[in-house]
Amino acid sequence: MEAYDVAVIGGGILGCFAARNVRRWNLSVALLEAAEDVCTGITRANSAVVYAGYDNKPGSRKAEMTVRGNGNYESLCRELEVPFCRCGSLLVTYDGASLPKLQKKLNEGLKNGVPGLRLLTGAEAQAMEPMLRPGVAGALYAPSTGTVNPWLLGIAAFENAVENGAVAYRNTAVTDVEKTDTGYLLKTNRGTIPCRTVINCAGLFADRVQELLFPRSTRLHWDGAEYLVLDEAAPKPRMVLFHQASSCGKGITAVPCVEGNLLISGVRKEIETPFATTPEGLRELHRAAKALLPEVDLTQVIRSFAAVRPNPYREGGQSLHDFCIENPGPGFYSLIGIKTPGLTCADELGRYVAQEAAAFLNAQPNPDFNPHRHAIPKSDDSEILCQCQGITRSEILEAIRRGASTVDGVKRRVGSGKGPCQGSRCAFAIETILEGYRNGTL
Amino acid sequence: MEHYDLLVIGGGAAGIAAATAACGAGCASVAIVDRKPTLGGVLLQCTHRGFGSNLTGIEYARQLLKDFPPEVTVIGNTTVLSLEATRVAHLSGGRRLSFSQLILATGCREIPMGALPIAGTRPKGIYTAGQMQEMMNLHGFVPEGPAVILGSGDLGLILANQLAQVGIPVTLVEKQRRCGGLTRNQKCLDDSHVRLICGQTVTEVRGQTKLEACHLSGGDWIACKTLLLAVGLRPERTLVSHLGDPTWLHLCGNCNTVHPMVEGVLTEAIQAGQTAWETMRKHG
Repeated sequence: MEAYDVAVIGGGILGCFAARNVRRWNLSVALLEAAEDVCTGITRANSAVVYAGYDNKPGSRKAEMTVRGNGNYESLCRELEVPFCRCGSLLVTYDGASLPKLQKKLNEGLKNGVPGLRLLTGAEAQAMEPMLRPGVAGALYAPSTGTVNPWLLGIAAFENAVENGAVAYRNTAVTDVEKTDTGYLLKTNRGTIPCRTVINCAGLFADRVQELLFPRSTRLHWDGAEYLVLDEAAPKPRMVLFHQASSCGKGITAVPCVEGNLLISGVRKEIETPFATTPEGLRELHRAAKALLPEVDLTQVIRSFAAVRPNPYREGGQSLHDFCIENPGPGFYSLIGIKTPGLTCADELGRYVAQEAAAFLNAQPNPDFNPHRHAIPKSDDSEILCQCQGITRSEILEAIRRGASTVDGVKRRVGSGKGPCQGSRCAFAIETILEGYRNGTL
Repeated sequence: MEHYDLLVIGGGAAGIAAATAACGAGCASVAIVDRKPTLGGVLLQCTHRGFGSNLTGIEYARQLLKDFPPEVTVIGNTTVLSLEATRVAHLSGGRRLSFSQLILATGCREIPMGALPIAGTRPKGIYTAGQMQEMMNLHGFVPEGPAVILGSGDLGLILANQLAQVGIPVTLVEKQRRCGGLTRNQKCLDDSHVRLICGQTVTEVRGQTKLEACHLSGGDWIACKTLLLAVGLRPERTLVSHLGDPTWLHLCGNCNTVHPMVEGVLTEAIQAGQTAWETMRKHG
């Protein structure tokens, strides 16, 4: 087998954008994903926020990439035909004593170059967002905050990478890495893949993948977040709302998603079972949601789920707050512990590592790179399989043609099963179609 | 634009009866739209008896359709996507039609897993009871046992009975102190395969890819591969939620109120069909 110029390990949103950006250069690239589909790990469960960039220390890689990444979101989403909404955000506090914290974030945000950032009085914030519980002491308004569907964006980047010649290997888990004279040999459950450089985007397992060949350096500690999704019909705020830890308990985030659902999330420090919600967590989320948005209609919750986030720390225990991009050996790059604002910076991070690999390999730009990807078109079919979202059979067939191999994979591509019945009326029909594909009868 | 004096949305028991009644009263221009290719709605997935003179749902639907007036236009395999206050319906496939009177007979939908305060992972093996009924009775699917059914109303009991009949052990979990369904549906509780636990609910599920166990509020974990949710039905009125209460809109059947028996649905539907025709004559 001829060696790939670049092998990207991990098909989450970071790996998909890394592969897409590698194809901006005249380099061959393979994308290896352990699961059946791309964007099924950290990307699958995410807050969907495109951050403005006031949360990060001035001068840090995060600060710089977040502000730039945020600024590029319109053009990125236009290229990839993914809906994006720059709805703005309020970071609110009910505690006068916390106002200096908002001031500090304002100062840092201004240093970072966040556009339009300003402090609001409680009354101003409430006028902008009447759903807020009365008594707001102050708020930090960031008009550049936005929201995007993380898995849709990741899949769009994946499709675009493949259209541009990236080779995808799914169900392919890297079990060992060897150094060779010309680069690296990736051993997988489905054979070996030789490559000249490696971009490690293995998400929750990025530390382990690097340690297959290199000594221990940065490690990951997993923590979690829990989420509630409300029906499109439920009342929702206009902007993304952040309510930091204060007298009201744990902080929560409320996001009016591009699809019209309200997404409410809270962060949990420790987790027992990955991707599992807890009874206490859900109760706390309900309580905190009501405390911030008294009119929120929690009878309209249609789904709850849990996310896992990789927190990087050094041997010895010291937490790392910036993005870790490591280069443990020649032509080997690892993105380790990319959590918030990883979604905001997905393309930035992909560009950065692709450029590193390209410089290492002395590559030339690829004149044939086409950044445009077409969304799955709405069809005029009369046969609708997902009644809640109005998704037709031909849209579902197109999702399968583009690589969906599970009911969830179809959901992530066309939104079937995302409505109030949560797939109870269409999941079986979609499963039957998928089975037909697998058996070759369709 | 295509026009009908009366448009009926939903081809289940309510829609069939309403269209039949309106037609019988004198309304000559009636169309009925259903997402499935044939009329009958949820009756078609009911293989158990108890409809009318102890018929199965399928037999009952056949009986209802025997008197169905041939002059009614049946638009199958079609979903009504939206309704305008100007009395225009947008159908899937890009079709539009106008109407004078509208009968909404869209039935109800089940409360899915996501709407319940059940913690844990989101493994395969969790279904709503009606979804499982459709999968088993229309598509020959057999779930893996053992099974837990949350909710001992009629639907929960009917499913418990059906699973027990194919030898799948069932634990019925009921939040209330006593079983909620009709006495005739409680016969399955005598079956050795069915165990009833009252005064508890499912609080958590376990299993990374496939369901392994359910946790009950009493503290026990019950090993199971299937969890069926029969915790309630919500009237399906999304299509008309923005319309207010215009005189041309008539609701009947389970989208109006959830009926325990099909007879209640029919009475209401016949009434709606007649009212729609009378309103049509008076106001157009």
